[in-house]
Amino acid sequence: MASSDEIPAADAAGRPTPPGNPMSVGRTVIDKGAEMMQSLKPVRQFKQHLCSFALYGHDLSRQIETHHYCARINQDFLQCAVYNSDESRAQLIGVEYIISDDLFKKLPLDEQKLWHSHAYEVKSGLLASPHVPDMLERRELDNLAKSYGKFWCTWQVDRGDSLPLGAPALMMSPQGVNPGMVRPDLLKKRDDKCGISSEQLEASRVEIEGVNTAGTNADYWMKHGKGFALDVVETMMKLRTPFP
Amino acid sequence: MASAQVDVPGNPTSTGTALLETATAAIQGFHPINKIHQHLCAFHFYGDDMTRQVEAHHFCSHQNEEMRQCLIYDGEELGAKLIGVEYLISEALFLALPDEEKPLWHSHEYEVKSGLLFMPRVPAAVQRKEMEQVSKTYGKTYHFWQVDRGDHLPLGLPQLMMAFTQDGQLRQDLATDVEKRYGVSFEEEREMRKHMTGPDQGIHPLANGAGKGQRLELREVDISLVA
Repeated sequence: MASSDEIPAADAAGRPTPPGNPMSVGRTVIDKGAEMMQSLKPVRQFKQHLCSFALYGHDLSRQIETHHYCARINQDFLQCAVYNSDESRAQLIGVEYIISDDLFKKLPLDEQKLWHSHAYEVKSGLLASPHVPDMLERRELDNLAKSYGKFWCTWQVDRGDSLPLGAPALMMSPQGVNPGMVRPDLLKKRDDKCGISSEQLEASRVEIEGVNTAGTNADYWMKHGKGFALDVVETMMKLRTPFP
Repeated sequence: MASAQVDVPGNPTSTGTALLETATAAIQGFHPINKIHQHLCAFHFYGDDMTRQVEAHHFCSHQNEEMRQCLIYDGEELGAKLIGVEYLISEALFLALPDEEKPLWHSHEYEVKSGLLFMPRVPAAVQRKEMEQVSKTYGKTYHFWQVDRGDHLPLGLPQLMMAFTQDGQLRQDLATDVEKRYGVSFEEEREMRKHMTGPDQGIHPLANGAGKGQRLELREVDISLVA
């Protein structure tokens, strides 16, 4: 049974991530030609790059730097492709959906368990908009501080997986209490790499307000000491014709 | 098309937000996104329910010759919903996977040879080389948003998705709808793709759920609140 919290059976250690031969020149030329004919409209809708951190929901000591590329559906809803770096060779490690407080509070309590709040990571300067002056970003930060996210991680690169293995992992957001606090070395590494000072960001964001999550099931681990893992389970498939 | 049927609740984007995003889109870097260069249209069904079938638009980038990562949408227009991800790997990479992992991956041979999987708006002759390669790959797909059951938001657990492996599995109305919209004929393309072959070693018996249904279940685990 493949589970999101299980270490996968021996994955060829030491292989490049991901393994595989580099692109041949011939293929690159075909790709360019075909690419020009296709519109790729949905992926032109990504207009914000956010850099932050996420914690595995079943083991908060496992923490990763994340790069979200977000596309807006409306004022209350963003859909984001999440990568492990901002380089072109970055791995697609999952998807996060970001919704407003209004939308979140209407979700059934059972569904809310799968969501996390963003106020702490915005106010503490963990969440950054690379290259965008904080002043410009201010209104959006106000919105983000009042939003909630649902983040499924499909590729656990941080544990050395050279390919996406197992079930998706539910991710949680950094919080101001342990085990939800981001390790200083991880933060420093990100800050140095991206030319950011999260301390300065925190200072400039003092007036940003979060939301009251009392009575909700956001950040479930904080109130209940329980996280969530996913298991893949064999089952009877409902058929319309024989399979496979 | 599924995209048109489900409205995401929420207020229209404010002018201020739209202006900000025009600015951020211009100032920031989008390197991983800019690498997405290919649109593939195909169909998935739910790993525990073949009767639930979804048109899936893949927007893919190559990590290298043998591995692709794709964002899956329910359509290709403005407002299309990001409903999942798929990873495509070569046969060689698939064979090296642990046996426990293999059932989570599906073969592409049938979809390609039947014409169901195609690159919209790319002339058949141009995409044929690409299809020859895809025919030999395996894919792993999770959907997070069940638009086919009318969910206005991405609710519930991820769903492991599977690909069609035989004639008769895909609903005819879904197929015809795609053919009409894209001006393609799966029958004609099937003829042109007759020469294509699947994985050199044949479809692995553990692929495609090892022939069984697969579903994801949530389990609670203890989190120690002590630092």
